[in-house]
Amino acid sequence: MLALLKRYRELILVAVLLLLPLAVFFAHAKRPAELSRVDRLLLVGTAPLEKVVAAVVTGTLEAWRGYVALRGSHQRASALSRENGMLRLEAQELQQERAENDRLRRLLSLAESEPRRAYMGARVIGVGLAPAGLQLLTIDKGADDGLVRAMPVVVADGVVGRIHATAGQSAEVLLAVDRNSSIAVRVERTRARANVRGLGRPDQCRLDYALRSEDVIEGDLLVTSGTDATFPPGLPVGRATRLQRAAHGLFLEGMVVPAVDPTRLEEVLIITSGARDPSLLPAAAGPGPRP
Amino acid sequence: MKPLAHVALALLLATLQAVLARHLGGGAVTACLLAPSLIHLALTAGNVDGAVGAAGVGYVLDLTWGTPKGLMTFLAVAVFLAARLLGAGVDVRGRLGFALLSAAGALGLSIGAVALQRVAALPEAQPGWGLWLRLLVEALLTGLAAPLVLLALRRLDALLGAEESDLIA
Repeated sequence: MLALLKRYRELILVAVLLLLPLAVFFAHAKRPAELSRVDRLLLVGTAPLEKVVAAVVTGTLEAWRGYVALRGSHQRASALSRENGMLRLEAQELQQERAENDRLRRLLSLAESEPRRAYMGARVIGVGLAPAGLQLLTIDKGADDGLVRAMPVVVADGVVGRIHATAGQSAEVLLAVDRNSSIAVRVERTRARANVRGLGRPDQCRLDYALRSEDVIEGDLLVTSGTDATFPPGLPVGRATRLQRAAHGLFLEGMVVPAVDPTRLEEVLIITSGARDPSLLPAAAGPGPRP
Repeated sequence: MKPLAHVALALLLATLQAVLARHLGGGAVTACLLAPSLIHLALTAGNVDGAVGAAGVGYVLDLTWGTPKGLMTFLAVAVFLAARLLGAGVDVRGRLGFALLSAAGALGLSIGAVALQRVAALPEAQPGWGLWLRLLVEALLTGLAAPLVLLALRRLDALLGAEESDLIA
């Protein structure tokens, strides 16, 4: 027996490495699991690494853009055009700063529009929109800044998602377009109730549980209803589109164009007031391993 | 030592991927930079070292993709074994072969993840096959990025002094 084990030890080890994770997957697939200590250790370790890599990549890209602009000036071989190039570069930088100011002003006006809510600003430092995985953003604020799971994340245009996992100095945001995300909404025009569920695509969500008898038309703005214990009421989620009323059935079918394009986010606001005990919240992240 | 180094590199690649996605398209299209790492392990490492390394890379994928625990670990080892079998039968030479195999590996990981989640996840959270276009684009971009990742992997192997020459040109 021992000789047999010894003879096939490589095969046995590879089989264990293959089958053990499969068993773990089927055991965890239907219920959300807490982060293990090893997971947390790795997340805490990768947050500073992500910030450093982000700084290096940003610096390199900016230096490259500057180099290209300067090279163009040299090719013109005249001091005037060189100066012109530099001025254009400055104008471009100013334009970018103005755009950033506009974005921040809009975020500020959103924060000021509801003074009872407490907000915290954060920058997006990483994006994970792998089609087979969760749709996640990484932000540069984390548990050290007081963020906890399930806090709503918004921008001036509407709902971005909610905090999914936190490390010391960073956090992951589960986007509203993720298929594990379901947000209770109302049609702003008629106050009809429905749910918006993500499809794992950044450009589209699905309209769930909208009664066939309700007055919903294409282009209707859907806002959070506040009944899901996560999002405060009145935040835009998206607009109804491709509505279909079947001849039978309780609900109408339709899609939702998200109010926020997750591929263009640079800064977000986290609503830190009214945070509830995460353990009391419904487990929306069904197959996700993290709370 | 080698599996640990590959897990460390996988973490670095996953971080780089998240940061690059933020700057290049904001995640509208994605690549799986860890798939070439699995293919490289399959073509150069030993059975045990490679399988342990692949499991480590899969664990990093589970952590960064947010998939249920064990899913990507299983798929990473499965892709490692498939690439190893293929590598034993077909002589994979040069960057083009490596890129094609990496693209196939990325596609295998994604399709496997979608298929298994469709079997095991709650009905309302199951991924749909409407994602096929994104999966194909991901595989294509992975193939394009694979030669660059190969350079980093070769450098790592040279540092560790453990490359088995002639397995991949």
